[in-house]
Amino acid sequence: MRYESVRLAGFPVNAKKEKRGEPDLSFCVLVLILLSMGLLMVLSSSFARAYYDPGKVTGGNGAYFFIRQLIFALAGTFLMFATSKIPMSLYRKYSVHFLVASVILLLLVPFVGTTVNGSRRWLVLPGIRIQPSELAKLAVILSFARLISEKQGKMHSFKEGILPFAGIMALIVGLLMLEPHFSASIIIIAIGGIMLFLGGVNLGWFVSAVLILGSALAVLLIFFPYASERITTWLDPFASSSDEGYQIIQSLYAIGSGGLSGLGFGKSVQKYLYLPEEHNDFIFPVYCEEMGFIGAALLLCLFALLILRGYYIALKCPDRFSFLVSAGITSLLFIQVFLNVGVVTNLLPCTGISLPFFSYGGTALMTELIEMGIILSASRDAVY
Amino acid sequence: MKFNHSPREPVSKPNSQMLRRTLFLMAVCGIFAFVLLLARLYKIQIIDHEFYEQRAMSQQLRENKSSAARGSIYDRRMNPLALSAPVDNLYLSPAEIDSAGEDRELIAKGLSDILNLDYDEVYRKTSETGSYYVTVKRKLSREEADKVRKFKAENNLRGIRLEPDSKRYYPNSSLACHVLGFVGTDNQGLEGIEARYEKALGGTEGRTLRLTNAYGTDLLFKQFEEHCPGEEGLSLVLSIDSGIQYFVEKHLKQAVEDYDIINGAGAIAMDVNTGGILAMASIDGFDPNNFLAVGEKAQKRIDASPQPQAELRTQQLKQWRNKALSDSYEPGSTFKIITLSMALEEGAADLNSTYYCGGNVSVRGRTSPIRCWKDGGHGSQTLTQAVQHSCNAAFVNIGLQIGAERFYDYLEAFGFLEKTGNKDDNLTAKSGIDLSGETGSIFWSENVFCSPKNLSQLAAASFGQTFTISPLQLITAVSACVNGGKLMQPYVVEKMLNEDGSVAFQRNPQQVRRVISEETSAKVRQILEAVVGDPKDGTGKNAAVRGYRIGGKTGTSEKVNLEATTGKKEYIVSFIGFAPADNPEIALLVFLDTPSDKSGVYVSGGQMAAPTVGKMFADILPYMGFVPHFEDDEISEAEVPNLAGMSVSQGENALYGASLRYRVIGDGDSVTAQLPKAGSRIARDSEVIIYAGGTPSENEVTLPELKGMGYDEARDCLAQSGIFVRSLSPLSEGGTQKVVSQSLPAGTAVPKGSVIELMLRDSDRNQLGKY
Repeated sequence: MRYESVRLAGFPVNAKKEKRGEPDLSFCVLVLILLSMGLLMVLSSSFARAYYDPGKVTGGNGAYFFIRQLIFALAGTFLMFATSKIPMSLYRKYSVHFLVASVILLLLVPFVGTTVNGSRRWLVLPGIRIQPSELAKLAVILSFARLISEKQGKMHSFKEGILPFAGIMALIVGLLMLEPHFSASIIIIAIGGIMLFLGGVNLGWFVSAVLILGSALAVLLIFFPYASERITTWLDPFASSSDEGYQIIQSLYAIGSGGLSGLGFGKSVQKYLYLPEEHNDFIFPVYCEEMGFIGAALLLCLFALLILRGYYIALKCPDRFSFLVSAGITSLLFIQVFLNVGVVTNLLPCTGISLPFFSYGGTALMTELIEMGIILSASRDAVY
Repeated sequence: MKFNHSPREPVSKPNSQMLRRTLFLMAVCGIFAFVLLLARLYKIQIIDHEFYEQRAMSQQLRENKSSAARGSIYDRRMNPLALSAPVDNLYLSPAEIDSAGEDRELIAKGLSDILNLDYDEVYRKTSETGSYYVTVKRKLSREEADKVRKFKAENNLRGIRLEPDSKRYYPNSSLACHVLGFVGTDNQGLEGIEARYEKALGGTEGRTLRLTNAYGTDLLFKQFEEHCPGEEGLSLVLSIDSGIQYFVEKHLKQAVEDYDIINGAGAIAMDVNTGGILAMASIDGFDPNNFLAVGEKAQKRIDASPQPQAELRTQQLKQWRNKALSDSYEPGSTFKIITLSMALEEGAADLNSTYYCGGNVSVRGRTSPIRCWKDGGHGSQTLTQAVQHSCNAAFVNIGLQIGAERFYDYLEAFGFLEKTGNKDDNLTAKSGIDLSGETGSIFWSENVFCSPKNLSQLAAASFGQTFTISPLQLITAVSACVNGGKLMQPYVVEKMLNEDGSVAFQRNPQQVRRVISEETSAKVRQILEAVVGDPKDGTGKNAAVRGYRIGGKTGTSEKVNLEATTGKKEYIVSFIGFAPADNPEIALLVFLDTPSDKSGVYVSGGQMAAPTVGKMFADILPYMGFVPHFEDDEISEAEVPNLAGMSVSQGENALYGASLRYRVIGDGDSVTAQLPKAGSRIARDSEVIIYAGGTPSENEVTLPELKGMGYDEARDCLAQSGIFVRSLSPLSEGGTQKVVSQSLPAGTAVPKGSVIELMLRDSDRNQLGKY
């Protein structure tokens, strides 16, 4: 009877009288496992950096980064469960507001943002730094899901199915390029594209989009030497004298020296200041060095399971909005994992993308957990 | 059921296209992409694992070398000659000084004060912030290192580092310096035994590989450390005897001073039965602890030179030169021992042979006759006398009797040359001792030497001229002549010891070949003993030591080539002796290169080198444990009787009976004390002091210089102050002997009643000559 009613009711907003379903246990457990592994890796990978304290902020406390990450993880887990309680209708209702807010924050960045490594990406509020691009990704997923679900049947038309979405994406990407934030732009384009793909846009448009993006990329590489240098570094990191080349080489050393079974937890040597960003974007190489190919394969399987489960939840969603949000967030997760592992293994050109649940960074972690919370919320309505 | 949603929020299930596309994404993003990533990881982690691991290791691993402890060098009695002691090297890590914000001025001030270094220099080193290793000073003394450690601890300075090293110490300073050699700053052997046995002494250095962080310092937790232990160096036990070496050096130095030797001098003592080198010395020497420092004389030359740097180098090379090994010379008359041995062995001469010397002898192929050193000649003489006289004319005849071919063969048998098969080659040979820098001999080619038309080479070679050999070759060959005929392989290193003291290598004395028979050798010994032991005819009598049987031969060789080119007459005077003469154990060769004619001593082996060898034997033979045997009819000294309890007149009688004179102090009736004490052996006719009431004063007497005095003169000079003498040299009858040395040097304060031992030289005019 309960299933029946849910199926008919469709939206949890109706469930005031009816109890909502339980969140998906497998998905939840996978997230918590990955989160725990990520925390341990932050402890292991950041210990030397924090201990030697080159920036004189950690006070020589090796667990400095770990403790901060632990606090964010606890807060994020709380937020994940909180967001899983929020009915999907609410996300739907405020999705466009959220998008507008994100765009406004992105607009603020060029004026009041904080510059790190030559890119202005951060807004510093008292006590917290936020990266509006993180919010923009979620905003794109939520707002696209809502728009697509409202335009059912019209998605194959250019005017209805592509133009508004392309406009939003162009606006956001344009703002991101001002920072500049190359990797976030790619993610926005990719996630937008996947949303439209799921929404039912004709495949022909995708072919043209790929062609357009390809030529845009070519232009980019010609006019932005910063980007083209990355390509040459990618092709032969050992011949490159750039910082990225050094970083990739150190990353490959770490991954490669892990071998089949790794050096053992905590025993990475590359983390001893050889490998830059060893607890941020390049935490995966430390993991590979310590846990070996076996550990790396295990971790990738966990990520794959999480992604498959995310799509599975999406498939079981009773309505298009929940479906699109679940599939979109899952795809976002995939994009991040794939780009991060692709970059550190030099499968892809170097760009800064963090590994979900692993890389050190409070806002990113909390955002990811909130996103997981949204999937969990959707899973409550899922009909198996 | 109630639907409660606005038309703007349509409820619609995902359509089938969406589900298909989701399944496509599942396949791509959930499976295919991860297979791709896994494949990539497989390539990096499994296939290319070694490549990356090796590269990673090469940047992560640091190699620390720990030098192996260098082996010690001992003499045959296990007295240490060279030891290694741990010391510290001081270096700075300016990068860490910089990162820790340590006070550079404080460091520079502190270190420059402690180590007496230039402040600016140290400060400059603290500023090389790109480096983790800048050496400040090597081989700090323990005291310095302690001070640095204290300074470092007091100021909590991480940038100051000490690392262990070792320093070579030569506890006996310059003793045996040429044999030992020395080591460079990295403890690598540069000269002598240190260089020749570098491999054995040095061992192999240990290596420690460990993982480090990017700063090059240790990881937080020790993960990997591979230690390849080095092999400790072996210790060497030499055939050198420090005691003998000391006596040889002492008297050699004295000889250089006494006889104003210009070009230095050398000496070798050899165990005649084994070929082991007991002592080897060269003048000038150096202190291997500070081998760059030169002596006073050399410093004067350097100061006077327009190019002090070049001159310093010259003087350093000169003082490092082991003349006893590296200088070859014309041996002169000492070589007659070899000629004598050949002749006796071959029957070309025997003890009954007689030779006539008319002052010169003509030789086929020579335009002018060969002159004997003695004008007018020695007349008719037996073989023994011919050797005693060192008669050149007789030896030319002996050489001719032997014949060039046989002579040449014996030269090879004695190790003076090695035939190459080509009779036109000038020939050479070396003894093959285990020391670096040995010089080889130079001989006429067989065709020249053995030419029947020209016997002048053979004639001159018979008395040791017209070829050059090394002193080591001569003493090795002479040892064979007197040890029963066996040519022994000379050596210095007798044993090698492992770190735990077990024997790693033991040398067995090696007989190269038998050259002459036991019987011949016995005859040679007998004849050579007569050269030293005959106080009348022996040209080597100045080498004699009372109570010991010593054999030997003098040599005075003119530097013929030098005279031919510059007209200057220069000589190398030498003496080779052995003892005991009946059963020799030690041979001793001394050569003095170019005595000036200003010393007042007649330039010859007999007057200069023989007394030097005598003095050495006088110290060495008792040291080796040989007990002197005085013959019954000894005329030179008397034993002081015990006068205690006697009346004065009884004492006077007793002294008279003992061939001693006396002097009475005090007017009592009985003897209250005597000088010297009963049992002392003193010169005959010395004036013993009898105390009749009272005792001798405690005042010490300062010894005067006795050198150059006659024996009686010295005796009486000292008797005035209650000091007595005895002679270690046999007394000759003519009273032509002069003191050449005293057992305690002039200026020494000695208590009354002391007995000073003297060595004498006979400078009888009739016997002076270049022999």
